[in-house]
Amino acid sequence: MRNITEQSLQADIDAGKDALEDAKDGSEDDEEDTKSNTFEERRDEIMKMQWEMSMHLDFARFAAGNALDLISLALSADPNKRAPSSFSQTFRAAGLDKGFSFGTMGLAKENHEHDVVKTAELERRTEQQKKQDLVAKAARLQALDTATDEILKAAKDLEKEVRKETKYWQEIVSISDKGWPIHRMRSQRQPAPFAVRYGFPEANPHFKARGSAPLRMDKDGGIILDPNLALKPKTLRIRIIEGGRITGSSQLPVESVGEGLAVEKSIRLARDSLLEEELFHEMSLETRQLLPYGVRLRDSVITVDAPGMDTTTRQLLIDCIPREDKVPDGQDHTYDWLAQAIAEALRLLLTHEHSMRLYRRTQLPPPLTSRKQERKTPPLLRTLLAMLQHLQNVDSLFAYLNKVSNTLGGAGLETPVEASREESLSKLQVSLATSNNKDLSASDQLLNIFTRPYTGKATVTLPSGQGSPSEQLIVAIRTVIGAPTFGTEYRLTLPSSVATDLGLSTENRFQNTADIVSYLDWVLSLHIAHRVLKGEYADRATTKGTEARVTIASKSSKKGQSVKRNIKVELSEGLLALHLSNSEDSAQETQSWSGKGNEVALQEKVQEWVG
Amino acid sequence: MHELLLYGQVSAARHDQVLKILAGFAAMQPRRILQRRIIYRPEREPEEPGSHLRRGGTQNVAVKQKQQSTTPTQLYYTHLVQKLSDEDFGKGDSKASETLSADVDFEGGQEPRWSSLFEDMPDTGDRGVSIRFTNSTDLIGGDPHTFMITSGPNRFVTEYYVEGHRFVHGNVVVFLHRILHEPAVRNLQTGPKVNPPAFDSLQLLDQSGTYILEAKVRVQDFKDASVLEAGVNELKAFQTSMRGCVELSLPDRLTMDTRVKYKLAPGVVTKAQAQQAQAPQNR
Repeated sequence: MRNITEQSLQADIDAGKDALEDAKDGSEDDEEDTKSNTFEERRDEIMKMQWEMSMHLDFARFAAGNALDLISLALSADPNKRAPSSFSQTFRAAGLDKGFSFGTMGLAKENHEHDVVKTAELERRTEQQKKQDLVAKAARLQALDTATDEILKAAKDLEKEVRKETKYWQEIVSISDKGWPIHRMRSQRQPAPFAVRYGFPEANPHFKARGSAPLRMDKDGGIILDPNLALKPKTLRIRIIEGGRITGSSQLPVESVGEGLAVEKSIRLARDSLLEEELFHEMSLETRQLLPYGVRLRDSVITVDAPGMDTTTRQLLIDCIPREDKVPDGQDHTYDWLAQAIAEALRLLLTHEHSMRLYRRTQLPPPLTSRKQERKTPPLLRTLLAMLQHLQNVDSLFAYLNKVSNTLGGAGLETPVEASREESLSKLQVSLATSNNKDLSASDQLLNIFTRPYTGKATVTLPSGQGSPSEQLIVAIRTVIGAPTFGTEYRLTLPSSVATDLGLSTENRFQNTADIVSYLDWVLSLHIAHRVLKGEYADRATTKGTEARVTIASKSSKKGQSVKRNIKVELSEGLLALHLSNSEDSAQETQSWSGKGNEVALQEKVQEWVG
Repeated sequence: MHELLLYGQVSAARHDQVLKILAGFAAMQPRRILQRRIIYRPEREPEEPGSHLRRGGTQNVAVKQKQQSTTPTQLYYTHLVQKLSDEDFGKGDSKASETLSADVDFEGGQEPRWSSLFEDMPDTGDRGVSIRFTNSTDLIGGDPHTFMITSGPNRFVTEYYVEGHRFVHGNVVVFLHRILHEPAVRNLQTGPKVNPPAFDSLQLLDQSGTYILEAKVRVQDFKDASVLEAGVNELKAFQTSMRGCVELSLPDRLTMDTRVKYKLAPGVVTKAQAQQAQAPQNR
């Protein structure tokens, strides 16, 4: 085969060699046709072939035996290799057994330098040399040819690979530059060297596992979107329903096409979605504890009763919907601001819970005990409920207090009211400045206030007669969703002098606004009657029992008989009324104040009546 | 409360690296800890070992074993631990009138800074971790030094400072620290300083600057085998994960002995000492 080159084949074709072979084939075919002519001829032919074959075989055996014997004999010069079995059978029988000794043949290298080669032989050799050179050259050329092809192919592959890697790395760098942490994949199962982490490190374990996605390469080097990233982004939606009508809703806007790669966008969306889903998950777990507060979870919608304006019932509907969903048109947007604020507050609370988890984790752990620590759901809905309830209660109470203050002011009895809805917020700056907790950031300390009980405080300075020291009535409003009050508690602290004068206890607790309002009405009217008026007409006035009534005798006239007049003080729904009745006749007179201004002062009126 | 402990060493050169590894492992920033520890020793000398056993024959009628004497047979060194911050150092020498104060302002959200600490000798059991009983009591008022002096009665031995970083990984508390002390004045002191000296003036106890890595799990229900097992396993899991970074090992329990050793009164020659003294003469 070595001699077969393109040229030689061409030469062969030119010389018509193949034609010859064709002719040969043809003749064989012919022979087959003629062979079966006679049995005799066929047998002779086979016999001849047999003979020829056996002759060849004999000769081959003879030559092989000779070669074997020759080599064995040559080897037998070495005493170690003298084994009769290595010789052929014939040689053993005819030679060795008849005294032919080992090592009788020697071999030596010979110098052929001075050999005289015959011309024919020389020619033959040069001819062969030439042929071999030619073949070698051809083979080399062919090898070079394939090598070039291979190298070209490899270069092409390499170029493709380089382009692919460049693109992949460009995308990775671009993602990394945007601040996403990239880390190596520890498990070798997935053929992705790197993964991006976009989840929150302190998230619920279920969501933490979803917070990372491998960055795999596709055919062109782009990054394949992981199933985690390709999920439909979701968003929290809060709707406000008043009287069966949706009056406001909040929802993250559908992501506008921003700058950057598609991967970055989907990472960002996935991150947002993860927070929203975790938020909803935690809240739906929380609803189980909040059934008594009217929180329901039905059809993946959380319903929260919220105090509404005036008398309408207001409900919050919280659900988690795909982000692409459009806001239906023709909706009322009156309370969009409220819904937005609630949604933002819930998000802030969850992120606060995340940092609190880190904080708790890094504190010295309690010693191990057999009691398992249960994992508490973060207070999200609880905080929201407490806030809504607290604000409503505080506002309604403060509205009442202001009204009363106004009315009493109109009647000439100055009762300034000082109120703060949430105490710790009002002294926030001081508490943050002096805080010595280094592990919590200021924003977390701020948010921490919301997870603690809310305490509102109102201070009412009681009207007093001239000269007597001013006394203060303190109303503290505390809201906790949980033990011990499970709602709002009002604590009224009376100044001790008032308490002793009126025979009341200094501290009273109430469960709802109506209770404390009626109690305050009563206490204030009692205070006016028993202390303010009585203080003014000290020697002439008498009071009786726990009724807001004062009996004032008229100035002792010369007649000796004084007229006793009953004055009853009534304060209700911000309206102050004085009822005058005489003990003798049934004539009655009534004067009322509503705080509209330009009215006669109470004390003057009484003066006028009593004289 | 019992503590499960493992210790390792980190050379000063590797400190930063190990600090970073631990921060990554525990997923938290290191928390810098500065402490002062003051050692107290009981005033009473320990009894001679075996002195409660009867020696030789007796003519007394055999009676039941005497009631356990009320005084404890073992005496221990105790610690006073003060949490410090960087600002506390180098406030200058204290005046004679100043005293230590452990008063805590709970209203202002302060945590107690002083605590008295008792550490027992580690248990003999072999669980692959060192187990010892400890008891720590926070002091929330008064002069802690006086408290310790009178509660023993104890006397002041010495004070030293601990500087390092703390990590928390699950229930394992990792404390990478080294010990500092004030050179020279140690032997002259009769009581703890009111204000610690400047931080720069402190010297390392181990001049090479090697850090100690202490991994600790605290166990409340020591009697509950499953709780103890869980604690041991968690600590061992930490040991395994740190392999190749820091080799954590079980210290020799005798090196952590907190008992006061019995010392012969001066002048008394024991039989063994007498024999030893005579031996060369006989030769």
